[in-house]
Order: sequence, then structure tokens, then C-alpha cells
Amino acid sequence: MTQNEPSKMRGLMLVAGREIRVRGLSKSNVISLVVTVVIVGVLAALPSLIGGDDSDTKIGLSGDTAPAMQAQLDAMGGFDITLFDTADEAERAVEDETVEAAVADGSLYSLDGIGNEDETKIDAAWQTASVQTNLSNAGLSDQQIGEALTVQPLEFVTLESEGGVSSTLDYFTGLIISIIMFMMLMTPVQYIAMGVVEEKSSRIVEILLTSLKPWQLLGGKVIGLGVISLVNLVAMVAVGLGVSAATGMLSDLPPGTAGAAVSSIGWWLIAFALFGTLAGGVGSLVSRQEESGSVLTPLIMSLTLSYLGAIFLLNAPTSTFAEVLSIVPPFSGIAMPTRMAITEVPAWQIGLSALLLALAAAGALALGSQLYKRSVLYTGSRMKISEALRRAA
Amino acid sequence: MLEIKDLHKRFGDTVALDGVSLSAEAGEVVGFVGANGAGKTTTMRIAMGVLAADSGQIVYDGAPLGVEQRRRFGYMPSERGLYPKMKTGEQVAYFGELHGMTKAEAKRSAAELLEQLSLTERIGDFVQDLSLGNQQRVQLAVSLVHDPEVLILDEPFSGLDPIAVDVMGTALRDRAAAGAPVIFSSHQLDLIERLCDSVVIIGNGRIIASGSVEELKAKEVKQLRISVETDEDLTARFSGTVTRDGDDYLIEDGDDQEALRIAAAAGRVTRFAYDQPTIAEIFREAVTR
Repeated sequence: MTQNEPSKMRGLMLVAGREIRVRGLSKSNVISLVVTVVIVGVLAALPSLIGGDDSDTKIGLSGDTAPAMQAQLDAMGGFDITLFDTADEAERAVEDETVEAAVADGSLYSLDGIGNEDETKIDAAWQTASVQTNLSNAGLSDQQIGEALTVQPLEFVTLESEGGVSSTLDYFTGLIISIIMFMMLMTPVQYIAMGVVEEKSSRIVEILLTSLKPWQLLGGKVIGLGVISLVNLVAMVAVGLGVSAATGMLSDLPPGTAGAAVSSIGWWLIAFALFGTLAGGVGSLVSRQEESGSVLTPLIMSLTLSYLGAIFLLNAPTSTFAEVLSIVPPFSGIAMPTRMAITEVPAWQIGLSALLLALAAAGALALGSQLYKRSVLYTGSRMKISEALRRAA
Repeated sequence: MLEIKDLHKRFGDTVALDGVSLSAEAGEVVGFVGANGAGKTTTMRIAMGVLAADSGQIVYDGAPLGVEQRRRFGYMPSERGLYPKMKTGEQVAYFGELHGMTKAEAKRSAAELLEQLSLTERIGDFVQDLSLGNQQRVQLAVSLVHDPEVLILDEPFSGLDPIAVDVMGTALRDRAAAGAPVIFSSHQLDLIERLCDSVVIIGNGRIIASGSVEELKAKEVKQLRISVETDEDLTARFSGTVTRDGDDYLIEDGDDQEALRIAAAAGRVTRFAYDQPTIAEIFREAVTR
């Protein structure tokens, strides 16, 4: 028995290896991976691209208010400040384009205007600096001026409305996670069914089964396509988070987004085990590629419903509907990571959801492999599931 | 030695096999003959473990056949199958690995076989881009790549061009010469007669005749054929049942020595021999009985 162990695993790995070589390294898969990664990268970079570049604005200052303004602008950040002795020098520096704008004698010099944000900041700094200068001229001490000008900034409090409508950014993140989960389940599931039918319709399965057990053949196929998809998924998550981190967006995302993105890989693994083995099982019921669509329909329907449910959930992440959807398998496979991305989910719900999904996956594994074992060598018209289960293995 | 013992198999109400037994000694080439639907493919599929028998046993070298031993068998199913979108060399080597060879062994063996089959140039092409005849050769390579201990081939010659038939025939004889039992089915009875040491005839799920080619021929009803240069009609003078085949006399159940004397007295005897039935005739005889 122990003597057979390595060869059992070897058979499984050989089948998985073939899938990875033939499908994973195929031109179409490599191209689609590169394209998807680029799209994810661009999507992740989009918010900061729209926000404009982050480099400091070069600004020149002169006059009485210059030191006070410098202090204000330094505190705000985002400015590279040069001090000039006279207003003329500052004006010339603007003309030479050594600075983008200059504040002197109560005027803001620039060649063709400056950005709204910078303008607002400079205006605010000017107001404060002018008040400071005026107060100082009126004979107040620095400490008195400081106390007079100390104002607590407004504290922003967001009140959640009914159902917990999330911010645009949360929504966007949840949307991307649900789309990626959906795609990453849909594609390999269809490939598994296609592969099973290909082997069956070309009758190669008869040769394969003389040296492999049905579970090795099905398991290897699911593992192989799983590895391909996992590589794609990890690449997407890594690029998405990497680009977000590089553009400084990551800190602006709601807390836990990075965690949700990483944990979505875990959710994907369980959901894939569920859908993948079922796809292999139902794929073996038919003998021709044209018929595979009909047996796959229930699977594709439940995947699509999971996805649509997750999209719906984005608008009401704390509703009862969202809670139920993210706990009940197979919908939880997409719904839970989506929900986790946009709102805080109680730990018990995450645990329960993972447990139920894993149980469903185990059930699917048993059902899928039984279906496969009993019907893969049967050729002819489509087999009914009940008929397949009645047959002796 | 491979023994197939008393196989029974039903598909629903149809009895496919009804006590089929046959065996192949080491180095023996066994031809498996029968009409369509007689049970050849079912027998071979059960022997290869892709189908379970209702009862019966497959015994290899005195012990029930196990999975590990079966992996060292070479099998060609009647309905051919290859991965269309996999490269020829890669595919043959993959099957070598599935049969337990190391990657390097499998690659080398695949290259050697494909060279023997004149497919070296197509080693990097997808199987789907090969002609049907070349795909058949690849199929042959797949069944031989792991240097099998036993060969079970279902209609290996169907669809092959004459050159490939020769390659296949040589391959079968080579394997047998190396000590492998070989069982193959075919409708081409001339090939069976040329290649096989023994023949098994199956009809409606039962073995209806089996034995070495010589035994089978000897067992059949023999006719004495006499050709003699004479104008005289000797029909009435021979004993037994006498019929004419052209100018020849065919005699059944007669006294051959007496017939020879009569013929020699009448003229020059150019032919005096027992007709050997062809396997085709034996087969026809057996299935109509």
C-alpha cells in the first residue's frame, strides 16, 4: 500500500502538470493574464491619476508676510518654497519658470494660473499670514497671536444611513473584488467541464483510465486549472495592492481592504473546489462538447446569481439580505469577500460562512467525483444525474 | 502468461459476454476474431480494467491482475483518442510518464518510437494538425511508449496504410519475440493468419473456436483435391463424396490412397493435397454453425 502512495500522487501531479503546461502556458492564457494584470493595475492607479501628480508646487514669496506664509505653507505640505528679496525678483522667477507662482505685494503671480487646490491653500495661507502680520503690527505678542489663531479643525463624522451605504471608494473596491471572483470562478469551471468532455469525446479517457484512477484524472484537472487561476488571482491582487501602495492610495482605502483582498484568495480556493469538482462531475455526463452547455447551466446560473447578489449587497452591506447571502453557500463564495471589503463583518459570521462553504465544497467533491467515476466511460446520449448515481461504479 | 477466465457481462437485458475465456502465453500472438457486437471490445476493455465484469477473472502470471501490473500493459482502444491540442512528442512522452517512466526515459522512448514511425519531423506539431494516418501512428506510439509487458490491441490495423500495417505487424512480432503476450482483434483475417500463433473466435459472447492456427486448420473438415491430366471423367470411379471445382476433383470421406492409384492410372497427377481452409473460411464456418 505504502508502495503505491508515491505513484498515486505522481499520477495526480502528472495530470495537473499537463493541464498547467497545455492550458496555463498556452499563448491565449498568457496574453489574457498580461492584459488582465494591466487592466487591474490601471484601475488601481486611476484614482491617483485623476487626482493629478503629487510633486511639490514651486512657489516664490517676498514681502513682509513671507516668513509667516512660509510657515503656513510648510505646515500644509506640497510646496517647494523660495524666498525673494523683492517683488520684482519674484515676478522674474515666475517668468523664467524657476517657480510656478509667486506671492508678493498682495498679488499672486503665475504664467497661466495654478491648480484649484494649490490656489485654495495659498489663499488660506495668505489670509492667516496677513492676519498674523496685522495683529503683530497692532502690538500683540507672538504667544497672544498664536492663541488667537489656534482653531480646532472640523471633525468629520460620517453617519451611516439605513443599510449602511458605503463610500464610493468602498463600493469600487467591493465591485472589483466581486468581478474578479466571478471571472476567476467562471473561466476555470468552464475549462474543467470542457476538458472532461474533450477527453470523453476523443475517447482518450479509455487509455488514461488504464493507468490512472478516475479521482486522479478529475483531481489533477481541478488542481491544474486551480493553480493556473490561482496564479492569475494572486497576480491581480498583488498588482492591485502594489499599485495602490505605490500611488499612496492604499492608506486612503477603508481599513481592512488589503486584508479583504488577500482573504478573497482563501474564499476563492474553497469556492473553486466546490464549483470545479461539480463542473467535472456534470461534464462527464455528456459525450459531446455541444451538450456541455446544458449540464453546466445550473452551475453557471448559481455563479451568476452569486455575482448579482454580491453587486446588490454592495448597496446594502449591513442588511439582512446581505448577511444571509454572505453566509449561505454557494453564494457566500463571492458575497462574503465582497461584503468584507466594504463593511466590517462580525467574526462569527465569517467563521460560519467559511465552515458552511467548506462543507458544501466537501459535499460537491464527493458528488462530483462519484458522478465522474460512474459516467466518464459511458458514451452516447446525455446521462441523467439520478441515472449516473444509480449505476455501479 | 495472461489468462482471461470465464467472463460474464450484461448491459441491461443484453448478454454481452457469456463465459469468455482465453489466454496468451509469453511470446504468443493471439488473434481475436468475431463479428461486430460479438464481444471482442467488451472482453478487451474488461481485461484492461476500464470496464468491470459481472463475474470472471483476469490472471497474470498466476495471480489476479493488479493495477500496478496493468500500468505496464500497452492498450489501444477501438475508438482512438489523443489530445488534439497537445504536441505529438509531448503527448507520447506524457503517456510514458503515466505508465511510470521517468520524464527523461519517456522523452527518449517517445523520440525513438516516433523516429521508427517516420514522425520525427512532426514531433513539435499539434496532433490535430496531423493527417488521420499519422494520428494512427501516434496512437500506436502511445500504446508502445512504455515498452509494455503485455499488449492488448483492439483493431490495431484498422485505418492504417500498408506501410503502417507493416510497421504495426513488425512491432507486434517484436514484442512477442521479446516475451510479451500479445492479443489483438482484427477483421483482416489474412493479417491474423500471417501474424498469429493462435486464434480465438468469438460469437454472441461465447468462444466458439480456439487453438493454434495449425490446429484450427486441421480440425476443419478436409477435402482432398486432385488434379489429373486426363480427358476421362473420374467422378464415378472415386469413392466418397466427389465434387468438381473447375478441372479439379474434390473428395470428402474417401480413401485417399485408392484415389491416388485411380488418378495415376488415368493420367499425370499434377496435384494431390488436402485443402487447407483459410482462417476466413474457418471463421465463416464457425460463426454459421
